[in-house]
Amino acid sequence: MNDRFLPAPFGNQRSEIVAWLRGAGLDWLFVAKASFAILLTGWLAMRFSLEQPGTAMMTVAIVIHPQSGMVIAKSFYRTLGTLAGAVMALLIVAAFPQERAMFLLSMALWIGLCAGGASLYRNFKSYGFVLAGYTAAIIALPVVNQPQDVFQSAVMRVSEVTLGIFVAGVVSDALFPQRLGDVLRESVRSQFSSFIAFVRDSLRGALPRGDLERAHLRGVREVVQVETQLSSVVFEDAGVRQRSPRVRRLNHAFMAASTSYQSLHHLLNRLQDESHSRVLRRLMTLAGDLGEALGVPGSEPRMASQTGALAEGLAALRARQPARIASVREGLAERSDLLDFDTGAELLARIADELQDYTAAYAVLATPQAVRQSAAPLTPFVHANDWIGAALATLRGTVTMLATGAFWIATAWPEGAGMMLIATIFSCLMATVPDPLRAIRYMLFGYALGMLAALVCVYTVLVRMDGFELFAAGLLPFMLPGLYLRARPVMPGVGAGFMLAFLYTVAAQNPMKFDALHSLNNSLGQLMGIATAGVSFMVFSGVSDSPWLLRRLLRKLRLQLVRACSAPLPGLLARFESATRDVAAQIVAHTRSASDESRNMLAWSLSVQEAGRAVVELRTQLATADVPTSLHDCIDRALAALAALYAKPNRERYALTRNLVSTALDEAQAFPVLLGPLHLIRLALLDVGSLLANEFDVPPRLGEEIAHAA
Amino acid sequence: MPREIALFDALLPTLFLVFLASLLLQAAIDWLVGRFGFYRNVWHPPLFRLAVFVCVFCGLGLLVTR
Repeated sequence: MNDRFLPAPFGNQRSEIVAWLRGAGLDWLFVAKASFAILLTGWLAMRFSLEQPGTAMMTVAIVIHPQSGMVIAKSFYRTLGTLAGAVMALLIVAAFPQERAMFLLSMALWIGLCAGGASLYRNFKSYGFVLAGYTAAIIALPVVNQPQDVFQSAVMRVSEVTLGIFVAGVVSDALFPQRLGDVLRESVRSQFSSFIAFVRDSLRGALPRGDLERAHLRGVREVVQVETQLSSVVFEDAGVRQRSPRVRRLNHAFMAASTSYQSLHHLLNRLQDESHSRVLRRLMTLAGDLGEALGVPGSEPRMASQTGALAEGLAALRARQPARIASVREGLAERSDLLDFDTGAELLARIADELQDYTAAYAVLATPQAVRQSAAPLTPFVHANDWIGAALATLRGTVTMLATGAFWIATAWPEGAGMMLIATIFSCLMATVPDPLRAIRYMLFGYALGMLAALVCVYTVLVRMDGFELFAAGLLPFMLPGLYLRARPVMPGVGAGFMLAFLYTVAAQNPMKFDALHSLNNSLGQLMGIATAGVSFMVFSGVSDSPWLLRRLLRKLRLQLVRACSAPLPGLLARFESATRDVAAQIVAHTRSASDESRNMLAWSLSVQEAGRAVVELRTQLATADVPTSLHDCIDRALAALAALYAKPNRERYALTRNLVSTALDEAQAFPVLLGPLHLIRLALLDVGSLLANEFDVPPRLGEEIAHAA
Repeated sequence: MPREIALFDALLPTLFLVFLASLLLQAAIDWLVGRFGFYRNVWHPPLFRLAVFVCVFCGLGLLVTR
């Protein structure tokens, strides 16, 4: 981690400088492409004599993104959203042309519903919902006094928006594209090699709890990120579209391997004290074998075509593992020791299996020709949605709109429509980001800057310019900083806010209108709008600021385990894994890193994941193995108690579940296939015990509990 | 062909319908070409795709407005 501070040979620094230059070059390439696209759109819109070329230019500024797959995905959903919004605007205006209260109410409801729908998705689909909401407002609000013009307004806005989308797509895809596919390939590649290296380096000893949680966090982020990129990359080219099932398979294999690996480390951490040293020593021997099979440091394959040695090593290990385990097992006599050892050995065997799968899935990526997919259908990545969160977003959107609408009616302020529009746009857009208040602060900062820049630009520069070339030359210097900020990851939102405010305030038209009073009034309205949106986020706080919603997320996470205990088996494991990871990722996104609650949540998510996998495996084994009814009942009781414990944890249920699992362990002695998963469940339970102990401020007595439960 | 077509009494330019049709046609060609891995022999696939689209649109447009 610290090698950055060690004296490095000159060659290293040089490659760092080259890498930095390349990054900066890409940023400026993006800036050049974006300004070209914005100006080209403005020119085309004026050429086609559209009413507000400014709207088309704003669309480009919103859609454009350094990676072309992102642009096309965003554009696709944006087009759909715009069309839906236009249809809705026509309907609402047609239904209530003269009834302002009903008009505002139905508009507010529609926008609220769209904001709610947006919060259910985590990729650009959510953006489509947002667009469907505020496009309706963009179309209907300006013509509210001349309802007969609404059709013209709808046609114009839709033409402007689609023109912007089209130009942005063509420019970013055909001119020096930065392919999202390359980014995806790179992130899959680094996921693979860093996970293999992590496993190999950490097999030497027990990992401290903090490292384990960090690794878990990273895994969660990577899996969800790959899934999100995958949903955008399908728009980029057909080749990736055909390969995407393979990437999904890789992602599933990664989830499986990393969960087993975490279970192993939990076991090893529990065996750290003196009394278990015999078991620990033997397990470490086995772990050493696995570490050797993974090769020496620095040998991890970078390319998918280089995985041959790794695959061979793992296959050889799997072939000799049973005999090896049997020989290492000799000399253990005590029942608890045997149990611990068997669990550990089984986990190690499973990790080797899953690493083999993972390697194979990775190697398949290298074969160029589309191989017929294996018959097994792949369960899709399941997102776990939060309906209450969506309802809250709906309420927030509706109330914001109604409040600004009431203010508008009460004061008859001419800029009321502008205020309402901006308030709506922001309360929709920000409903889908992790920490909305912080995002609004950044956005507001960028927005104020952009507005100032626009006023300066229009009234000192543009008034002297004549013709489109000079107009473009006058705009360009003001746009560059905003676009550059968009390309950089620092201060996300400032660049976007800047561009939005700048283009909105400039409001390019042909011929340009210069009306300082109108511009200033309009700016005032916009600022009021953003302030209203900010207030609405303070009143109806998002997940990050409300302990209640956080608790709900946690509860939802635990309910995944209840589902694992009762849902039908086929495809359950994949659904369970992806849903827990999705919830865990939401938790990660919504909690401040290293806070107490995030640590608590992560501990729960680890425990849910481990227990859930074990439960699914236990149920699968039960379904196939020939087990006497008494044992079956005993295990069913234990599972029911486990589900009840996770549904609503307290100490009595904890004690009951621990006893039942312990009994089941005793009864199942004759069925080795059941022992492994049962033992894992017991391990996960001990985790729950320590969590409960934390919550109720009772010092943990884990050592004792291990002795009792075994 | 007329320059504008009345769709539910809204006048649409004929070229707009041609544009939509060429989008569909291009999507079909794109799928077919991608299916057989032809894009691996192309230097700049997006540019190629754009060029195909321009050819399709111009060809159909010229045919319709002739």
